[in-house]
Amino acid sequence: MERSWYWRVAIIVGVLLFSTYQLIPSWHYFKLPPDERSGEVFEKSVPRWAPDASKHLNLGLDLQGGIHLSMGVDVERAVKAKIVRRSDELADFLREKGVPVESSAPAGDGTRIEVRSSDPGKVQSTVLDQYGTEMQAVSGAPQGAVWFSFRPKAIQDFQAKAVEQAEKIIRNRVDRWGVTEPDIKRKGNNQIQIQLPGFKDPEKAKELLGRTAQLEFKITDDDSTVLDAMRGELPACEYGDRGLKMPLPEAGCWTVEQIELPNGNARQVTFLAANTRTQLEQAIAQHAKPKLQPNQEIGIGEGTGGQGPLATRFYRSYLLRAKTELTGDYIADARAAVDQSDRGGQRPVVVFTMSPEGGRLMEKLTTNNLGRRMATVLDGKVETAPYIQGKISTNGQITLGSGRDYQAMYQEANDIALVLKAGALPAPVTIFEERTVGATLGPELIRKGTTAALVGLILVALFMVAYYRMTGLIADLALVLNGLLVLAIMSILGSTLTLPGIAGFVLTLGMAVDANVLINERIREELRAGKTVRQAVDQGYDKVFWTIVDSHVTTLVAGLVLMQYGSGPVRGFAVTLIIGLVASMFTSIVVTRAFMDYFTRGDTARLSV
Amino acid sequence: MKFKTFDIIPHDTKFDFVGKRHIAVVLSLAANLAVILWAVFHGLNFGVDFAGGTEMEVKFSKQVDPGEIRKAVEALGFTGASVQTYGPEGENSYLIRVERIALLSHDDVQKVGAAVKAKLPSAGEPQFNPEVGDKIDFEFQGAPPSPDELKAAVESAGVKVREVREEQGLGAGKRSFAVITQGIQEKVEHDLAAKFADANPDVRRVEYVGPAVGRELRNQGFKAVLYAMGLIVVYVGLRFDFRFAPGVIIALIHDAIITFGFFAFSGREFNLTSVAVVLTIVGYSVNDTVVVYDRIRENMGKLKGKSLGDVVNISINEVLGRTFLTSFATALSLVGLLVYGVGTIFDFSMAMIFGIISGTYSSWFIAAPMTIWLEERAEKKKAHPAAAPARAAR
Repeated sequence: MERSWYWRVAIIVGVLLFSTYQLIPSWHYFKLPPDERSGEVFEKSVPRWAPDASKHLNLGLDLQGGIHLSMGVDVERAVKAKIVRRSDELADFLREKGVPVESSAPAGDGTRIEVRSSDPGKVQSTVLDQYGTEMQAVSGAPQGAVWFSFRPKAIQDFQAKAVEQAEKIIRNRVDRWGVTEPDIKRKGNNQIQIQLPGFKDPEKAKELLGRTAQLEFKITDDDSTVLDAMRGELPACEYGDRGLKMPLPEAGCWTVEQIELPNGNARQVTFLAANTRTQLEQAIAQHAKPKLQPNQEIGIGEGTGGQGPLATRFYRSYLLRAKTELTGDYIADARAAVDQSDRGGQRPVVVFTMSPEGGRLMEKLTTNNLGRRMATVLDGKVETAPYIQGKISTNGQITLGSGRDYQAMYQEANDIALVLKAGALPAPVTIFEERTVGATLGPELIRKGTTAALVGLILVALFMVAYYRMTGLIADLALVLNGLLVLAIMSILGSTLTLPGIAGFVLTLGMAVDANVLINERIREELRAGKTVRQAVDQGYDKVFWTIVDSHVTTLVAGLVLMQYGSGPVRGFAVTLIIGLVASMFTSIVVTRAFMDYFTRGDTARLSV
Repeated sequence: MKFKTFDIIPHDTKFDFVGKRHIAVVLSLAANLAVILWAVFHGLNFGVDFAGGTEMEVKFSKQVDPGEIRKAVEALGFTGASVQTYGPEGENSYLIRVERIALLSHDDVQKVGAAVKAKLPSAGEPQFNPEVGDKIDFEFQGAPPSPDELKAAVESAGVKVREVREEQGLGAGKRSFAVITQGIQEKVEHDLAAKFADANPDVRRVEYVGPAVGRELRNQGFKAVLYAMGLIVVYVGLRFDFRFAPGVIIALIHDAIITFGFFAFSGREFNLTSVAVVLTIVGYSVNDTVVVYDRIRENMGKLKGKSLGDVVNISINEVLGRTFLTSFATALSLVGLLVYGVGTIFDFSMAMIFGIISGTYSSWFIAAPMTIWLEERAEKKKAHPAAAPARAAR
């Protein structure tokens, strides 16, 4: 045999072994009863030497039951609410500047603000001086009044933020339920698409849009030593050379952080850490709650362990004073900005504005708690806990911890601004689309789908052997390898298998055989023309190669367009189709060729085709 | 020794495809036109994906008359409810579709508004959008009621309330409440359970899509098919010759319409999966055309001196067997899905098989023969230049 033949066989054997190896987690996943597939039972059932347990095939919503929601953020209402707020803000601002104001209220169906004053000119210039980047004066106002509206760009920005904010709140809430592999993404301009596989309670899902998110400010109780007693009850978290060593023990662990107290001393404050929110909640209930004093409570936040690509999120506790010092209602605005004055160069910060009343409350709060940390709690989750470094009244600034790159810090500043704004302007959300698949339907569909797929494939395989005999058998072997390879790639990508996806799988295998039909027919034709077997095989593959490439590319184009368009099950179909086409190029050309070359070696070879 | 094979389609046919193209074109045109006219005048059975509304899959433990189900659903106030059997016989599964996504009607909301105003004078006008769902917003000026008071007031109008929640008011001194009332799913489920108690109705799947989303999905689906066609035509044009492109376009449109026709004539639901079928057919049906074109290109070098029509005829005849067999093999793989497929997947495979057959037919009779027709027309124009330029030349 030629040298290249051995190489090709080595590659084929390699692909076969690799595919089988990659399918190990999926194999174990589907072996388990559906209830045990998520979590530890599954992770433990996968052997240590196998690929990462998370790389397995998933079942789509249609196959395992669950809920698909598409939520629309009512950006119109959010904008109206913003205008109402801004009109109040303008009145306060103008009075502060000593400009006479009679009234400031939304007008024109809530699209603009009408400010009545004895000195409209002064009002206009003062307002545009301060808010000119966001607002503009509108002509047509009656005598003794000025009209303002938001610039289109500002409204667009604002609407985008409202959607981003709603997404964040939804994420937080879904996270709290412990749904495995929820899929939340933004769709279009103002929609958020949520997939909760295996989730069975549509009423609870609607909680997502339940009460508006609450934003509260609480002071951390860093002086208190009550939690230090936990050190004897739980293991201490282990540290690697890159921060906390992940994953953490299942029961959670304790560790400390160095906190500066207002009196200038520093203290090692104990907190709990765990891998999941559920684990942390258990640890808190068991170890921390019993030790609390009546005026204390535990907040849950997130942290990152490890660094770079290995970084993983974990959950951590904060000891807080139970009293809610301030709520998000008092925040007028918040945004990420860059502090130019910092000696270390440009530094991303969060800038926020309080309403006048909020400013007074904030001033009192910050004066009394100077040097302490103030936790920002959104919807029950501690988002950030910066030190209070000075007195804040109407305008405040949150400086982020340093030591990370600019991009990451800016991202964090943006996130925090979003949180603060959630308190300022909760964007109302409504359900546009809801699809619930009962859990009873799933197993039945899987069973029928698999039977249907097998029947189709066996028919194709039998046809190939009956019609092309030896050569057909070779094509069938390639088909099996093709199937394995497709499933393996899908496992690696963690793709979702949907009912249309199963159909797509069958269809691509049917199409993969097409290539072999074309090759075999060409070989027949060459033999008929009197060529030797060796020549016929060579010609068959060479002349048909581009035809096969072309036909694959056209179907691939359709698949890619479909992937862009479709969502849910249809997307699953497109993904399977695409992977299947790529795999089929390899198996139907390279794999069958290697077999054919082996069987037709020598000049006197015979071939049943 | 002569090499012998068994061929389903003999390998030495001499069928005159080019000569028969007129019959084929008339036939295809008629078929396509029929599909379009049917779709325009009779309409398509749009699924909930595209029409918007609520769709429920309900399984009964024994056979139930779909007419009875429809009566039961219509008795709840849904006009134009549709009930279809779903999946194979003996499954006793039905697909119930209503056009609305909100159970509340504007009349209900007016009644609720009046009842609330009577009990809670500070209430503003109720806000309700039937495209959003069973939710009524109230705004209160001054002292707001407790959620329980509001709930009692709404329920006094005969509407069942699921939840009342407070929302941030628009403006100083205003408080907003969103009242979520009983939805379609709950109502239908409850009602069917009462009416068909002996058949244990089980709601297995509920989908609801707002009308605006439905329209958007429909437009996007149409665009997706056009984009795919455009890209494929460009690819084929680049790989072969742009002379061949018009033939491909016509064949593609033909196959897409025929596949679409399956949904139009059979009255099966046209939904997202159906768009997936049409798109896949657009990609797949070119395959046979590519095989034919490849052979034409190969033969144009070999058979110099023959007319293009002859070359095309010889080429199609030479690849007749394989273009048939590839489609046959692909269709064969779908047989299992036809036999065991439930609901959507059954339609998927059936439409796919239609498309595959159409794709093979169009590569024999439409794509290449169309190319010849266009070429001949171009040559005629060259041979008999139009009157005006001719005079100018004189």
